[in-house]
Amino acid sequence: MNRESAARRFAVAAAALSAAAAALVGLALLAGTSPLDAVRALAEGAAGSRAALGETLARATALVLTAVGASLAFRAGVLNIGLEGQFLAGAVAAAAVGPLLAGSPLAARAGLLAAAALAGALWVVPAAYLEARRGVPEVLSTILLNLVAAAAVSGLVRGALQDPGGDYPQSRALPDAVRLAPLAAGSRVTAAILIALALALFATLLLEWTPFGLKLRATGLAPAAARAIGLPHARLRFLAFAASGAFAGLAGGLEVLAVTGLLYDPFTAGAGYTGIAAALLGGSHPLAAALSAVLFAALGAGSSAMQRDTGVPGALATIVPGVLVLAVLAARARLARKAA
Amino acid sequence: MSIAAGRLAADSGEILRGGSPVSYRNAKGARHAGLVLVPQHDLLIGAASVADNLAFLDPAAPFFESAESRRTRVGRLAQAFGLELGAADARVDALPVGTRQRIEIAGALAGDPDVLILDEPTAVLSPNETAALFASLRRRADAGAAVVLITHRLAEVFAGSDRLTLLARGRSVKTCRVSETTPQEIGGLLVASAEGAERPGPTTSDVPAKARQFSNQPLPSLALTGFAPNVASAVRTERVSLSLSPGELLVLLAIDGNGADTIARAIAGLERFSGRVEVGGVPLPPSGDPLAFRAAGGAFVPADRREEGLVAALSLSENLALPNPPGSVFLDRAAMRAHAEERLSAFGIRYASPAALAGSLSGGNQQKAVLARELAHRPGVLVAVHPTRGLDLASAAAVRSRILDACRSGTAALVVTADPDEAQLFGAPLRVVTRGRLSAVLEPATPAATLGRLMAGLEG
Repeated sequence: MNRESAARRFAVAAAALSAAAAALVGLALLAGTSPLDAVRALAEGAAGSRAALGETLARATALVLTAVGASLAFRAGVLNIGLEGQFLAGAVAAAAVGPLLAGSPLAARAGLLAAAALAGALWVVPAAYLEARRGVPEVLSTILLNLVAAAAVSGLVRGALQDPGGDYPQSRALPDAVRLAPLAAGSRVTAAILIALALALFATLLLEWTPFGLKLRATGLAPAAARAIGLPHARLRFLAFAASGAFAGLAGGLEVLAVTGLLYDPFTAGAGYTGIAAALLGGSHPLAAALSAVLFAALGAGSSAMQRDTGVPGALATIVPGVLVLAVLAARARLARKAA
Repeated sequence: MSIAAGRLAADSGEILRGGSPVSYRNAKGARHAGLVLVPQHDLLIGAASVADNLAFLDPAAPFFESAESRRTRVGRLAQAFGLELGAADARVDALPVGTRQRIEIAGALAGDPDVLILDEPTAVLSPNETAALFASLRRRADAGAAVVLITHRLAEVFAGSDRLTLLARGRSVKTCRVSETTPQEIGGLLVASAEGAERPGPTTSDVPAKARQFSNQPLPSLALTGFAPNVASAVRTERVSLSLSPGELLVLLAIDGNGADTIARAIAGLERFSGRVEVGGVPLPPSGDPLAFRAAGGAFVPADRREEGLVAALSLSENLALPNPPGSVFLDRAAMRAHAEERLSAFGIRYASPAALAGSLSGGNQQKAVLARELAHRPGVLVAVHPTRGLDLASAAAVRSRILDACRSGTAALVVTADPDEAQLFGAPLRVVTRGRLSAVLEPATPAATLGRLMAGLEG
């Protein structure tokens, strides 16, 4: 999947974009609006102004990290569908330790993010254990752990983590000194997006340019060969699984640190699942997956604006990623069949 | 041939059948039109039973068919074509390669096809089954069907074919009636047309000196004591004790499914075992640990080079760098490339570039690439399963001589093969494995007919 020729990439991109355009035009026509007006509103809402661009990047932060996390797991052959749960585990850890951390804001932020990444990594352990020892497919166990995590968040914000000073089902807010300030006034984007993009670059280097990355890719591409050749197959899988969880956990921590400042219920609108879609669209290549994540974030920001301005349903933001991923997978499968 | 049977699309040209051009969209279309291909590697459905697979393959099977009727088909086909097909209810992925190939052949013959193409069908058959298969093929041909047999064994060509076409590197070298030529002539053409055949097959003088067995090497390279693989799905193997000194070569000869491949896999750490395995004096964990086997100086050539030997979607240089790619922080790509070029040319492998995908090589070159990787670090012990299966004569000879070279420089080798001729070409002591039992050590010069009877369990 990572070795597509330029012509193949072009064919796949063309298939995906036409499918997405068709979905957009169809929705605009259904809503009785001119498709051109809808596209203009969408583009302006996604990148038409500093504020719009900031909104896109703010939304992109969590998606980039979950997309990169999903890519790492997929490339090692681990089907981690549990990024949503690992994202929540990270957010819970951040909300739990955040208000307790003392000292300089910088140290507090580092501690909070470390706790979030660790929590995300730990949330994969039950699934990894069941897979290694009992042969339970991680696809099933991670989906189920997503449900456990969502229920745990719901319980925690009404119990142990509930703000003692309030009646709402939400946790104590982080001190303002610790929270990340917006990079520009009037926008929601923070330095978190820079952290996310730097980690996407790091993941690419790790996968493509290090001996460890080569072993990871070999394990993912041909598990039986990896075992016979004498690669530490089980350990590599676990490391990729845990790293994937750590990326998702970090995404949850950054969401609390940079966007919400506290934990509430329901906390996520599917950051983990959208990250998987972005990884699939990017062929599990971390940088391409990060780019796809930014695209999905732009669609999210743009479609909110489009609904406000033209009345075209904002559900576009969820429909288009789905259509894109289906078109890409179908085009890839067709090309693979032709090539075989 | 894959193109004719609807598996692959043609780049150019057309296929005529009965004088008119045909093209099948897929294998099912071709099958229903009476054209069947038996591929070299079976394409059965692993999770389904033998009975169900044969029902899928039989074009005459009704849409709704009772389980009982499907089960009886297994016995009927086994008897009709003289092939051992295993239990009707057994899951196909639990069966050895040989049985699976026989199921594929029986399924192909079931529909009485007008055009039947077989790609190396006998590679995993016993001599008796081969004879039965050829009788079935002859009957089909006499009934007016066209039968195309792809093989690298000259004996099979001359065992009853009408015409032959010699292909070398994608070009047709010679087409003639079989009655107008001789095995000697074709064999000569075959070797002449394969450039890579600079190394002739080994002669008996190449055999690692038998005297080595009595040399005063204190430590055997490989020692099995009361050893038996612990694999539920395979045939139960009797406990084995044997030891190989440095440079010693032992050939295990067996029809697939008799336990020889399981013995090899268990030594390589890919299956659990009971008893004791020592490689270079280091005991290996009985739970099966390929890393421990390799750390002790073991090397392994698996039967399935496409699934276990190489990572098809990685480049040649990446494959040859595994399992320990060079570089401390970043990959040392220059070193990888240099290492790959050195190994590839040392093993006479034809390749476009070290960056070419391993999966793009031909079977023979893939197998040589596996050996190039496995022999790179002068292993103390080499375990090789069917190292020459499905290879052309020149590649098979090259692979054999590489293994013998390694033995000459001190590697102890255990080679599993299902081909008596192949076993003799190694010129090394043999042991035949039948239903999990090892025969006594046989001389390399034991006649092939005797070996065949031993393999089939008719003697011993």
